[in-house]
Amino acid sequence: MRSAERRLSAAGAALLVATSSDPEHPAGNVADGRSDTFWTTTGMFPQEFIIGFPERVTISRVAIQCYLVRTLRIERSVSKDPVDFEECIEKDLQHTEGQLQMEEFPLPAFQATHLRFIIKSAFDHFVSVHRVIAEGTAEDT
Amino acid sequence: MVKLSAKCLLAGDPAVGKSALAQMFRNDGAHFQKNYTLTTGIELLVKAISVPETSDSVEFFIFDSAGKDLFSEMLEKLWEQPNVLCLVYDVTNEQSFNNCAKWLEKLRAQAVGMHIPGVLVGNKTDLVGRRVVEQKQAQEWADKHGLEYCEMSVKEMKNFEAPFNILAKSFYQLYKEKVEIFHSLA
Ligand SMILES: Nc1nc2c(ncn2[C@@H]2O[C@H](COP(=O)(O)OP(=O)(O)OP(=O)(O)O)[C@@H](O)[C@H]2O)c(=O)[nH]1
Ligand SMILES: [Mg+2]
Repeated sequence: MRSAERRLSAAGAALLVATSSDPEHPAGNVADGRSDTFWTTTGMFPQEFIIGFPERVTISRVAIQCYLVRTLRIERSVSKDPVDFEECIEKDLQHTEGQLQMEEFPLPAFQATHLRFIIKSAFDHFVSVHRVIAEGTAEDT
Repeated sequence: MVKLSAKCLLAGDPAVGKSALAQMFRNDGAHFQKNYTLTTGIELLVKAISVPETSDSVEFFIFDSAGKDLFSEMLEKLWEQPNVLCLVYDVTNEQSFNNCAKWLEKLRAQAVGMHIPGVLVGNKTDLVGRRVVEQKQAQEWADKHGLEYCEMSVKEMKNFEAPFNILAKSFYQLYKEKVEIFHSLA
């Protein structure tokens, strides 16, 4: 099994869109494989970002490391472009004072070309997303 | 260059000058509406200002509420997830000052457990002879409730940018503090 996350960040094209930006904490930080760099939201909720895979993959594990996120929704698309998203899961996270929220999503393996993370609400004015882990295998084509 | 955005609730009794303030701020002091048109429901105005002494900015989404809606339930829906508060009273109207407590209580109920930067604003300082709420009294009340305080006259275009400058600064400060916390987590 290969890590799509690692492969993607090497290609430098993992992160496609995000609704907020602070040049010091850009959204690319969610897909760089590190927990000490992060993306910050800078405005009102909902906020979202989309991760793209260079080809269709079968994803077996999705996890996120973030802070102050309350309601999170994950959607996937199998289109070539980031359109036609459908819901995978929506979850209310627990607030963990002074510690990263480490959330694993219990999902059956699924196919995707894009993953969209929508932060619908938060425990504070701003949240941080430190790392998104999406492990999977590329399809044989 | 960070661009923050903030949902700003503009609240206070009817006719204290909330809409006058919002219009004046949005149009950079171009127009003062003499005739009173009461707001129904909520009006949304958007304007960005730069944070003093930085290259960053805050874009305000100003929700200009209707003063007559103090006890309406609809307001609560529209007030969800606020970021900052601008609470206005009329310095010639004691009742409008006393009601600030109710407005504040209502707002705080929207954001339990969260710090919402806020500013108390005394308007209509041009009506010198009719003033009934003294600055000292208002300042003390603001301090007690963790609000900043300023006075203005929208009519004379005096100080009408102050509330938003204050809020921009506080909100920006809050952002910087949060980023420090985010740094400390990994
Ligand atoms: N003298 C004086 N009059 C003012 C000032 N600011 C606003 N007014 C007047 O006060 C009246 C009410 O102003 P609005 O801005 O409509 O009041 P509001 O708070 O939006 O009222 P609601 O929408 O009913 O909640 C208008 O006639 C304004 O012209 C001021 O600084 N001085
Ligand atoms: Mg009005």
